[in-house]
Amino acid sequence: MMQLRLQQTLRERAANIRITLLDMARRSKSAHVGSSLSIVDILAYLYFNKLMFDGEPADSPFKDRFILSKGHGAMALYATLHEKGLLSKEAIDGYMQDKGTLPAHLDKLTSSHIEVSAGSLGHGLPMGLGLAHGLKKKGIPGRVYVLMGDGEIQEGSVWEAAMMAPALGVDNLTAIIDFNNLQGYGRPTEIMHFHNLDEKWEAFGWKAVIADGHDFQSMEKAFALTEKAEGPSAVIMKTTKGKGVSFMEDELKWHYFIVTDEMFEQARTEILAGD
Amino acid sequence: MRTTFIKTLTERAVSDESIYVVSGDAGFGVFEDYKALYPGRYINSGIAEANATGYAAGMAMAGFNVFVYNIIPFVLYRCFEQVRNDICYQRLPVTLVGIGAGLTYAPGGMTHYSVEDLSLCLALPNLTVISPADGIETRAAVDYAVQSEAPVYIRIAKSGEPVMKDVRENGILSPGVIRDGEGIAVVAYGSIVAEAVQAADRLKDSGIRPKIVSLPTIQPLDMESLDAVLSNTEHVIVLEEHFRHGGLYTRLLERFSEAGISRRIYPMAIPNRFIHAIRNQAGMRQMFGIDSDSVIKKIKEISKIIG
Repeated sequence: MMQLRLQQTLRERAANIRITLLDMARRSKSAHVGSSLSIVDILAYLYFNKLMFDGEPADSPFKDRFILSKGHGAMALYATLHEKGLLSKEAIDGYMQDKGTLPAHLDKLTSSHIEVSAGSLGHGLPMGLGLAHGLKKKGIPGRVYVLMGDGEIQEGSVWEAAMMAPALGVDNLTAIIDFNNLQGYGRPTEIMHFHNLDEKWEAFGWKAVIADGHDFQSMEKAFALTEKAEGPSAVIMKTTKGKGVSFMEDELKWHYFIVTDEMFEQARTEILAGD
Repeated sequence: MRTTFIKTLTERAVSDESIYVVSGDAGFGVFEDYKALYPGRYINSGIAEANATGYAAGMAMAGFNVFVYNIIPFVLYRCFEQVRNDICYQRLPVTLVGIGAGLTYAPGGMTHYSVEDLSLCLALPNLTVISPADGIETRAAVDYAVQSEAPVYIRIAKSGEPVMKDVRENGILSPGVIRDGEGIAVVAYGSIVAEAVQAADRLKDSGIRPKIVSLPTIQPLDMESLDAVLSNTEHVIVLEEHFRHGGLYTRLLERFSEAGISRRIYPMAIPNRFIHAIRNQAGMRQMFGIDSDSVIKKIKEISKIIG
């Protein structure tokens, strides 16, 4: 059972991250707001309760590695790194600005805490697999987490990596799927045969667990199960696109729409009230 | 070249324990000794090239010096975006070893030719592109790749290519003069350099002495050395087992133009069309006018004009 105080802390962190990212979106007139809000609770959980940090100095790399494969959710990662004290206010302010600091999709040269450059879907899991296998071969402890969108797993490269991973015995690799059931122009469950995702991963030889991607206790349980797995593991996170802002939740248009000043104020009020 | 590649890599793997080979279900008769010596440093990644390329990038992120081995369509074409984003964009120490350069596999069919690989590679920043002519250049290319901290593409043919010349004075990154001459030069890369050398040797008694230059490293281009090597040759034939548009000829035209170099350049390459002809490599070279007979003809034509 997760301590209530810890849950409260994570909720507060998630609220701050949401407000930071909405402010970034407002100032930059950036798209992908819904896609970013969808993964905030997962990132808050990982960065404030899960990922093993190498300790001092503060800029040293994580022992665990996190790959944001759905690179269009970059705002959520930037805001989380900022909340963690690993990305400056100046960096956040320069997001998607002319002569700015951070692009809409990840470029690892912008921060030592960004593990891979990403933006094209289906690249993260193969890289995560290589990284996990390489770390294991070198005897370097730590787990590799790869966060993918649900639409992203339509990419064949994901299943190429899925088929290979169990053969390599990478028990240090965890795939996380942000299953918000909304992709660029439709619902994955309507576009594809998208049912029984956990069984699909299990059939490929992975340990698969379903969790609520907005419930820290549920995530805690799921990750505990994956850590016991003898091979690679997948956590299918049931999430809501646009989570935390009533008028954005489960709305396709929030893959694209921009946040106005009025919307930002309303969203912030809601988030603070919900916190 | 293939034999030299694996021999060199196997030797280097003794001292460089980070060398790791990813083979996309290719390499029968190539990797047996290497695998026996370094069983933990080889993987058959199966028939899944996007994953193999991303996996190679991940292994490099973990500190391995990765060599990906496959026929050229499967190290470059099938997984081009992984090569671009995962390896080149992130500037990781991964070497792509592509076999079957040009028309090596003729008459294997168009799917197995690589006559547009330079067009793709020359569009990729951070990537060093080396197309060795023989075993000596292959060894130097592998040596270079082993110590490189950035991506390298080595484009090799197969096995049994004749050695052009025992010593290369300038190193793998610069042009090497294989036959000295004046007035006319033939610049080539890969196994087709042999056709140019044959042409020069057969012209010995004619009084025409073309200079034969092997240019193994096409990116980055060592223009300073090339200009020096070509100082006494006003006429330059670019001989390629590659499409004419998008290969070395067009790149040199561009670079000569930028540098204000007034040498005449003549292309001898394959027209940019899908190849349906069923010919072996020698027959294809003859058909496309890039064999030694065609080189001799071209040199005589130019020679007549310049008197």
